[in-house]
Amino acid sequence: MNITGIETLVFGVEDLAACRQYLLDYGLEPAAGQPHRLVALDGTGVELFAATDASLPPAPKGCQLRKCVMGVADAATLDAIEAELARDREVLRLPDGSLQSVDDAGFAIGFQLSRRQPLYLLGEVSNAPGSPLQRVANQLGVQAGRGRIQPRSLSHLVYFVPDVAKAEAFYVNRLGFRVTDRFDGVGPFMQPAGSLEHHSHFLIGAPAFMQGVEHFTFHFGGPTEVIQNGNRFIEAGYQAFWGPGRHVFGSNWFWYFNSPFGCHVEMDADMDLHDNTWRPRVAKISADASQAFLLRRRDKWMPGPGTPDNGDYAA
Amino acid sequence: MNAKLPVQAVPLCVASDLGEGEARGFLPDEDGQDRLFVLRHDGELHAWRNACPHVDGAPMAWRRHAYLSPDRQHVMCHAHGARFEPDTGLCVHGPCLGQALQRVPLTIDGEGQLWLARTEQTQPIE
Repeated sequence: MNITGIETLVFGVEDLAACRQYLLDYGLEPAAGQPHRLVALDGTGVELFAATDASLPPAPKGCQLRKCVMGVADAATLDAIEAELARDREVLRLPDGSLQSVDDAGFAIGFQLSRRQPLYLLGEVSNAPGSPLQRVANQLGVQAGRGRIQPRSLSHLVYFVPDVAKAEAFYVNRLGFRVTDRFDGVGPFMQPAGSLEHHSHFLIGAPAFMQGVEHFTFHFGGPTEVIQNGNRFIEAGYQAFWGPGRHVFGSNWFWYFNSPFGCHVEMDADMDLHDNTWRPRVAKISADASQAFLLRRRDKWMPGPGTPDNGDYAA
Repeated sequence: MNAKLPVQAVPLCVASDLGEGEARGFLPDEDGQDRLFVLRHDGELHAWRNACPHVDGAPMAWRRHAYLSPDRQHVMCHAHGARFEPDTGLCVHGPCLGQALQRVPLTIDGEGQLWLARTEQTQPIE
């Protein structure tokens, strides 16, 4: 199954205005001609509807995520998914040509011929001594007065599921996902067959009443964008949860924020790529297994007017 | 969020500034996260630590002062959607079902000023 990644997350929310403003401040832009849709640079994005909107598929346990739409490489893949899933569940062909069904945990899923726009943008380049790839002379690493920072692409989604083995088996056996790494006793990181990214999905085993979404995230252009954009998000009044830091599995930079979506929303950058020669690692989950390092923000960093006698680091 | 509460009494705001169904955070730590928040429910003021019991001390608002559910009937943790009764702190929905928020003692002086009270209960959670 040549599935290439997640392209749209559809939410049904209680406070539409707050959720829209949150995503605009996060960096997404309104999609031309699609008033419900906010997008990253490659056209992947989030669609927002009222929780009461009857056109949305139902979700388990009041989860505000109502559908995860994945892209596929070609019509043959779409047909193959339809045939595979129709063996034991309803599969709808929607007017836009996409498929809609449900996974084994009860979350609505969709599939469409990929609409992800190709990007030809250099990522963050560091002037590491000896590296053949460096910024050209006079190109700055930090643009202090830079305008809005738009994320590049929808990255991944993390589900809380009551039965990890069952949920994992659906994605692996029915849809052809590969497990790239695993937290023992927690769940797998998975990539679809048409992507090299470390994960598009991560599953966390949790009590049935918790079923829902832990977080979703978009890729930014590099760690500087994540940290610069995250700092602006905090200055706008949003509340960080964890980060900024860098994960071990996937190596992606992360910064997690609370949100009005009832889940965390992450900003991430620079995730590892793996092909089918990769052998999955297994680790016990812990702070050290999850974060290579964690950074802290300081509002004051050098002595100056108003510095107390015992210094800025005094409690 | 395990930043300590001050042991001395601290003025928070004029009590009447907080209307019914409103919440406000106070005493932000150096990460910009409130140590506590105060809300008015059925006329009464209640103060709680900004610390969801589902993960040790997780901060709860999604934006400064945004501690309530959209319908303003519950305190809500915007990490994973737990909901709490505003007057008892009891979790009635979500990952910490049956656990409770930590209450912070308040006093109001003769001029209507709301204070974080000085009591033994203002010791850090750690």
